[in-house]
Amino acid sequence: MAEHILLAAAFLVFLGVLLGVLRLILGPTVIDRIAAIDMLTIISISLIALYALVADRFIYLDAALVYGVLSFLAVLAVARHLDRGL
Amino acid sequence: MLELLVFLLCGGILASGLLAVGLRSVLAAAVSAGLASLFAAVCYLLLGAPDVAMTEASIGSGLSTLIFLYAIRKTRNGGHNG
Repeated sequence: MAEHILLAAAFLVFLGVLLGVLRLILGPTVIDRIAAIDMLTIISISLIALYALVADRFIYLDAALVYGVLSFLAVLAVARHLDRGL
Repeated sequence: MLELLVFLLCGGILASGLLAVGLRSVLAAAVSAGLASLFAAVCYLLLGAPDVAMTEASIGSGLSTLIFLYAIRKTRNGGHNG
C-alpha cells in the first residue's frame, strides 16, 4: 500500500516538473516564467521530502528546510524589480 | 527510479540553460539561470551531497539572481529587451 502511494506521489512530481518546464519554455511573458519558477521551486521541495522518505535518510529534510526558507527570495526580488526597481 | 529522476533533472538543467542563453528578455534569462542552479542543487542532493545542495540553493539560486537583478537595474535601459 505504501509503495503504491509513494509511486503515485513520484508520478505526480514527474508530471509537475514536466508541466512546469513546459510553461517555462512556452510562457509568453516574464510573469508566466516567474510563476513557473515559483511552482518548480515548491515541487523541488516536495521532491526532496519524498526522496528523504524513500531513501530513509532524514538529513535531507534539512536541505528541504533551507530550500523553503530561501525559495521566496528570488521571486520576491523579481517582483520588486518589476514593480519599482530593486 | 533514481536514474530516471536524475535524467529528468538533467533535462531541466539543459532546458533552463538553453533558455538562459536564448531568451530575448534579460530579466527572464537571469531567472532561467537561477532555475538551472535550482535543478542542479536538487541533482546534487539526489546524488548524495546534501551540504553541497544547501550551498548551491542559497548562493546559486538566491544570491546570484539578486546580483543579476541589481546589475540589470544599474545598467542603462533597465533590462527591457536588449
